[in-house]
Amino acid sequence: MTADAAKPEASRRDVEPPAAERTTQAVAEPASVAPAGQPPVERPFVALRPRLSPAEKGSRLFFLVCAVAAMGQMLLIMVFLFGEAAGLFLGQDGQPGVSLRDFFLSEDWYPTYDPPAFGALALLAGSLSVTVCSTLLAGPLGLGLAVYLACVAGPRTREWVKPAVELLAAVPSVVLGLVGMAAVAPFLQNVLNLPTGLNVLNASLILTIMATPTVASLGEDALTAVPKDIQDASYALGATRWETIWKVTVPAALGGLSTAVILGLGRSLGETLVVLMVAGGAAHIPLSVFDSVRPLTSTLAAEMGETAIGGRHYQALFALGALLFVMTLAFNLLAWRLSRRWRSGR
Amino acid sequence: MVEPVIAAREVDFWYGQFQALRGVSLDIMDDEVTAMIGPSGCGKSTFLKLLNRMNDFVPGARLAGEILLRGQSIYGPEADPVDIRRRVGMVFQRPNPFPKSIYDNICYGPRLVGIRKAAELDVVAEKALRAAALWDEVKDLLGKSAMELSGGQQQRVCIARALALEPDILLMDEPTSALDPIATAKVEDWIREAGMTIVIVTHNMQQAARISDRTAFFYMGELAEYGPTMELFTSPKETRTENYITGRFG
Repeated sequence: MTADAAKPEASRRDVEPPAAERTTQAVAEPASVAPAGQPPVERPFVALRPRLSPAEKGSRLFFLVCAVAAMGQMLLIMVFLFGEAAGLFLGQDGQPGVSLRDFFLSEDWYPTYDPPAFGALALLAGSLSVTVCSTLLAGPLGLGLAVYLACVAGPRTREWVKPAVELLAAVPSVVLGLVGMAAVAPFLQNVLNLPTGLNVLNASLILTIMATPTVASLGEDALTAVPKDIQDASYALGATRWETIWKVTVPAALGGLSTAVILGLGRSLGETLVVLMVAGGAAHIPLSVFDSVRPLTSTLAAEMGETAIGGRHYQALFALGALLFVMTLAFNLLAWRLSRRWRSGR
Repeated sequence: MVEPVIAAREVDFWYGQFQALRGVSLDIMDDEVTAMIGPSGCGKSTFLKLLNRMNDFVPGARLAGEILLRGQSIYGPEADPVDIRRRVGMVFQRPNPFPKSIYDNICYGPRLVGIRKAAELDVVAEKALRAAALWDEVKDLLGKSAMELSGGQQQRVCIARALALEPDILLMDEPTSALDPIATAKVEDWIREAGMTIVIVTHNMQQAARISDRTAFFYMGELAEYGPTMELFTSPKETRTENYITGRFG
């Protein structure tokens, strides 16, 4: 320490007369600005950094391990998932691989036939149909609920409604699936006179119940995070409460609100049990909301137990898993991008 | 006697059980800058917010007495808070532009009152920005987000936004307390040259002395002294005022 501290003094004396020292120091410009005729002076410096106690170093290590473990798990899952899925496309044991074209563009999913067909299009359509329909319902419903909770409801009402919404999110999906099978399906079948009540509509309704609390809760967070002072500014300009909500609060929270919808959508896309129970399980492209479908997730859950490990069916299911993984990842990235882009506005 | 823009008569105000103002009576005159000074919690900001009904949002707020805006009661049964807030503009302590473009910030108020045509809005926006002495700085950046401006420019956008409604009077609640000295000087210059009725709350006595025609000194919820700024600072009638302006407390 002592040696370090003394250094600047020493080096300064080499190039400047001691008498001038004080003044030069006081008006010190960056070191490169040297008096005319003299070479620029390189001033020694000390890098400043915090000193860590052993306890701090230890905890730092612990958190580093946590972070590495999380990333490691992620990496292993990806390697496993994509490794097994690759086998389907590359072919093995003399069997030709399935072309990407057949996988994505064929709607024939006959994994146990001879020869088998591994077209994922119908399953993908099944997933997308229930996801889109439930998002169309849960998006407006959840956002409306979020606006109500954040901007409209008084503190008393909020005290009741908010826990109720959170409780809804805590209902196990199997219970909702039971409701769908035992109550919604017969109702749809009788009222609309359908061959089966286990269809896109039923699954979408149940998924809406699951996704709405997600959208509402995240949306409410986004709305309450809008600074109160811009709402005051709006009132001070003669805006009413509704004008303030629609023209200031909601636009300012748009990033968070769209993130909320996308994460709700992700919830629907990844949900397995409900669609397994109430979507009907027919692997074909739905033409209306009253058709039965077989989403990716329920295909995986239903068929994994019947496959031979390492077989082509097994690999095909991994390919479906990889597809689902990529879609979920894409939606999460989108949500992340949106929330970041809009946040930088404020 | 000339009719004041705002006349407060024996105003008492409570936040729930806490009485924040006691018997405040004062007149605010046309085209004058009126400063309100006093220690924290003296009621100066509370009084300011009564003038455009911003205290309506505070739960448990109660008022006794009367406040008149050009002879009409602000809190009377037929008074419309929305109309009052359009006639009484406000600039807040921290710059609070909307996260929208400069242009949309300025046009927010005019659009609320139903001006929709682009040509009309352009005229209104230019007029307001000129009135806020900001036009030359931002005329080429009207589409830029107001959030990207410096703090001082943001505050002047807020001034322009309030001026776009052509209010009778502008309230300013410590408008420079979040600004650096250079930005503060610009806002002060504007206040001096605006030639409109301004009521400004400030923590800074020098600021009050620099920019105001009249000064009101609030102390413990009462209006302790009110008079021409020069008189109040050079020969205060009250000991409380003298003690405060000479820095003995506050």
